Amino acid sequence: MILARVDGVIVSTVCHPSMTGNRTVICQPLDEQGREEGSPILAVDPLSAGMHERVLILADGSKAREFVKDPKSPLRNIILALVDEPLKKETA
Amino acid sequence: MRLGHVIGRVTLSQQDPAYKGGRFLLVQPFAKPQFAGASMTPLAPGSSLVVYDNLGADVGHVIGFTESAEASAPFDQPTPVDAYNAAIIDTLFYTPPSA
Repeated sequence: MILARVDGVIVSTVCHPSMTGNRTVICQPLDEQGREEGSPILAVDPLSAGMHERVLILADGSKAREFVKDPKSPLRNIILALVDEPLKKETA
Repeated sequence: MRLGHVIGRVTLSQQDPAYKGGRFLLVQPFAKPQFAGASMTPLAPGSSLVVYDNLGADVGHVIGFTESAEASAPFDQPTPVDAYNAAIIDTLFYTPPSA
């Protein structure tokens, strides 16, 4: 699972049928300190995460295919949880 | 899924029959500046890749592509595809929090 922050949203008309009607957001992966790590990725968002909200992404296609009810969907990343607590700061 | 700019086409003479109906695009994945609206050139750092496309994307378009096992999921037969164009992006809204 990937800890990430929602940084944006995409709009697409011509897309795989399984993506129609599903919100897809741009997520910035974060490390354990909450720092940005790597380039942003796209994830399906069934939970309607808010802008800059921290989320947990499951990077296994099985759950995404189950959510869109299409066993032939190319989707892979899906938001499974919204993070409430702020990240613990190192106290040293 | 990642985003990328279509920077070229790949034309084949001999190909696996499973590829019928699609074509191959040369895609440069986005780095952070491209999400914020940076242009296609100069190219983003990182290596480009070849993406299977049956939606009809062309050079200059922004596409969302899937890699690894999910790339071959949309096919009826087991198909040797590494990256699959899942969406042609119309607009993207990207506003990272200001540091």
